[in-house]
Amino acid sequence: MTTTCRWEAAESSTVDTPPPPAPERGTGATERSRRRRGWALLITAAIVVSAVAAGIGRGAVFKPEGAGSLLDFFAAAVSPRLDASFLALTGTAMLTTLAYAVLGTALSLAIGLIGGVLSSQTWWSSGVRARRGRRLVGWVFARSVLVVPRGIHEVVWGLFFLVVFGIDPIVAVLAIGIPFGAVTAKVFSELLDETGRKPYTALLAAGATKRSAVLYGLLPPALPDLLSYGFYRFECAIRSAAILGLVGAGGLGFQLALSFQTLRYQEIWTLLFALILLSVAADYWSSLVRSARARGRRRSRDGGGVRRDPLLTGSLVFAAVLIGLSSWWVGLDVAVLWSGKAWEFGLQLLSDAWPPSIGDSGVGGLLTLAGVTLAMSIVAITIAFGLGALFAVPASTPAHGRDRVERGRVSTAARMLAMLASRFVLVVLRAIPPPVWALLLLFVMYPGILPGALALAVYTTGVLGRLMAESVDNLEVRPLRALRAHGASEAKVFCYGVIPAAAPRFVAYGLYRWEVTIRETVVVGVVGAGGLGLLLDHQIGAFDYAGALTTLALLIGLTLAVDITSAAIRRSVR
Amino acid sequence: MPRVPLRLIALTAIGMLLAACGQSPGDPRGSAGSDGEKVLTISAIPDQDPQVLQRQFSTLSDYLSDRLGVAVKYLPVTDYTASVTAFQRGDLQLVFFGGLTGVQARTQVPGAVTLAQRDIDANFHSVFVANTKTGITPFDSVDGLSKLAGHSFTFGSDTSTSGRLMPQHFLSKAGMSADDFSGNPGYSGSHDKTAKLVEAGTYQAGALNASVWDELVKTGKVDTSKVREVFRTPPYHDYHWVARPDLDEQLGDGMTDKIKKALLELDGSTPTEKKILDLFEAGSFIDTAPGNYAKIEQVAQRLGLLN
Repeated sequence: MTTTCRWEAAESSTVDTPPPPAPERGTGATERSRRRRGWALLITAAIVVSAVAAGIGRGAVFKPEGAGSLLDFFAAAVSPRLDASFLALTGTAMLTTLAYAVLGTALSLAIGLIGGVLSSQTWWSSGVRARRGRRLVGWVFARSVLVVPRGIHEVVWGLFFLVVFGIDPIVAVLAIGIPFGAVTAKVFSELLDETGRKPYTALLAAGATKRSAVLYGLLPPALPDLLSYGFYRFECAIRSAAILGLVGAGGLGFQLALSFQTLRYQEIWTLLFALILLSVAADYWSSLVRSARARGRRRSRDGGGVRRDPLLTGSLVFAAVLIGLSSWWVGLDVAVLWSGKAWEFGLQLLSDAWPPSIGDSGVGGLLTLAGVTLAMSIVAITIAFGLGALFAVPASTPAHGRDRVERGRVSTAARMLAMLASRFVLVVLRAIPPPVWALLLLFVMYPGILPGALALAVYTTGVLGRLMAESVDNLEVRPLRALRAHGASEAKVFCYGVIPAAAPRFVAYGLYRWEVTIRETVVVGVVGAGGLGLLLDHQIGAFDYAGALTTLALLIGLTLAVDITSAAIRRSVR
Repeated sequence: MPRVPLRLIALTAIGMLLAACGQSPGDPRGSAGSDGEKVLTISAIPDQDPQVLQRQFSTLSDYLSDRLGVAVKYLPVTDYTASVTAFQRGDLQLVFFGGLTGVQARTQVPGAVTLAQRDIDANFHSVFVANTKTGITPFDSVDGLSKLAGHSFTFGSDTSTSGRLMPQHFLSKAGMSADDFSGNPGYSGSHDKTAKLVEAGTYQAGALNASVWDELVKTGKVDTSKVREVFRTPPYHDYHWVARPDLDEQLGDGMTDKIKKALLELDGSTPTEKKILDLFEAGSFIDTAPGNYAKIEQVAQRLGLLN
């Protein structure tokens, strides 16, 4: 189960993290703590500046008189629309969303596998004759190419693919597959670099080509981890497919967009429950496979030998069947990729967008908007980090087996209840799409950066809380056991055992989601929140592709900057 | 590493792909028409209760198919930009556009034909609404819009004709610019959201489609003690059907005229026709001309919405 943590850690690590040169003994510790203090100061300053920019401390932020409208929304949760025709509609939409999630994930895994190999250090550092310079250039190039898809939101990808391919199932598949593929490639490359290289170098030494050495020496030992990550990604793809409905992809997202436009809360809730059902099912499947893998590993470590895992095999067959069924369900035909029409429209789009234009607001205006976006993301991630950490502890699996302290049945039941309740809250938080959160918050807040930031914060809390809870589950139990054995109370175990061990991972998750939050600001920009997201929305609505290209370049720049910053922060925390 | 029965997986996958030759229920391109058959693809983005039409579109496509003698498939699209793009690419051949999106579509597809509009579209209005706490009282002349200065304000979707374009036009007639509001004007995303946000006091004033507003008031979905209409704009032309110029070429001579006739002859005399008109909230469809949208085109040009 520790693998998830490593993926997330890998997701949050950066383009280029060679270990810093080992400082001289003695000065190392003070140097590090000085750097840490520096970061702490910088982060605090960034948060304060962002909070001020967001308007905190300048007059009223909340306006309680709108609470009625907010309550109306949640009151509708108990009476979702359940008549037969709407349920049938929801059922079909659910299958469509599932199909897109399956196909998008399949594509992202394919991209991830190829991109992951090509951007791993292992690939570029082997080959006897290769020169160091060329290797470095190749590696840096492969990794920076991956930043571009990650900096652009799926919805924006969707709109651009719509121009190229028209109304076609391939649009949603590519819109999910490409950005997710880039993230997956990054994670896969880290996983591959962590995998033992001995079989691979042995094959190379025996005269195998680099390609076959990768295929037979590097991928097989890494495969289980890669597969488990694929399952995890699938769950994210379901949420993503539900947002993509806007661009003509159909499914839950399309129905949600329709019902949301006219604020049919009861319909929205029916659709949200369907979405929750899908993500819970995917979560359950992936945790089944992951825990089976963990058990298998333990067995083989104990000398049981590697054996076939029926659950994994079954899952693979099932996945293959799902891919087939999904392509049938949405009528996927990849021939459209090389159709002349698609190329024609693609080239047309490029010539419309090139050269990028600065627009009316000028460079200064663009930078201000980029600042707004950055401030929004910082406020969002700060709040989400705090809330996520709060939820993580109750949402984690209660200590089990030998580690359980003797407790009354009542308190165990209470603990289980707390776990289920907080997990449910987290699922709901992340199932409600950020644009819906933004509107709900606007009912009780004044327009500006803050409601947008809070909307992202609430949504991100749902995701972060889950990731953090999982990392609490995966904590090394031995130090905690030792503390308990010395008679420490549960509170003390928590303060001195859990928090110090979990903190670095929490930070890693937080930084990873910060990058995602930058991208997500695009979808809340429209609700009075401003920033680059609103600008991009206007530009796309006006078919100003040259302007949109500039805005996207800025967003990618921000993503890159966040990526580099978080790598530096992580290095100093480690 | 468990051994994976690759052959089994491959076989299953191939089997599934073979099975994949049947109809696809989730295909966004719709399912009407087989190879070689002539198909007319249509779509509509109504303002009011779009979910009703989008979920019951077969009524319309069946009627048209009946009248035209070709297969008709309806592709539901919610996004204004997406529908214009799809029209420009030829994926949609006949679309019920909003005023602005229709103009955008005709700019991008030179020669596209305006076919018909609803009876209510010839005489369309926007309303300006204000939160009652602002104390703004109803007024009759466009100049009265200057009363909104210093208040916060929201439009609807940024490419909506009645929720953004025409309100902005009337505001500038009254000498108001975006800077005169308190804070930046918002873009709520839809007419219903504009009404709700002004009701909640998030924005002190806003502008939306008059028929959506009337419906909200009639059904009691907005609290008129909190938000009230302060100004109804002079009439303008809004929604209209636009067809691609190559329709006759692709579907047979005279197709464009046949479609127009089929639309204009909808009079509600049969239950189906009645239902279609109800879905569009229309009494009938009437003739229209490109000149009706000149004003919209001007404003759009000025706002940089035509590219």
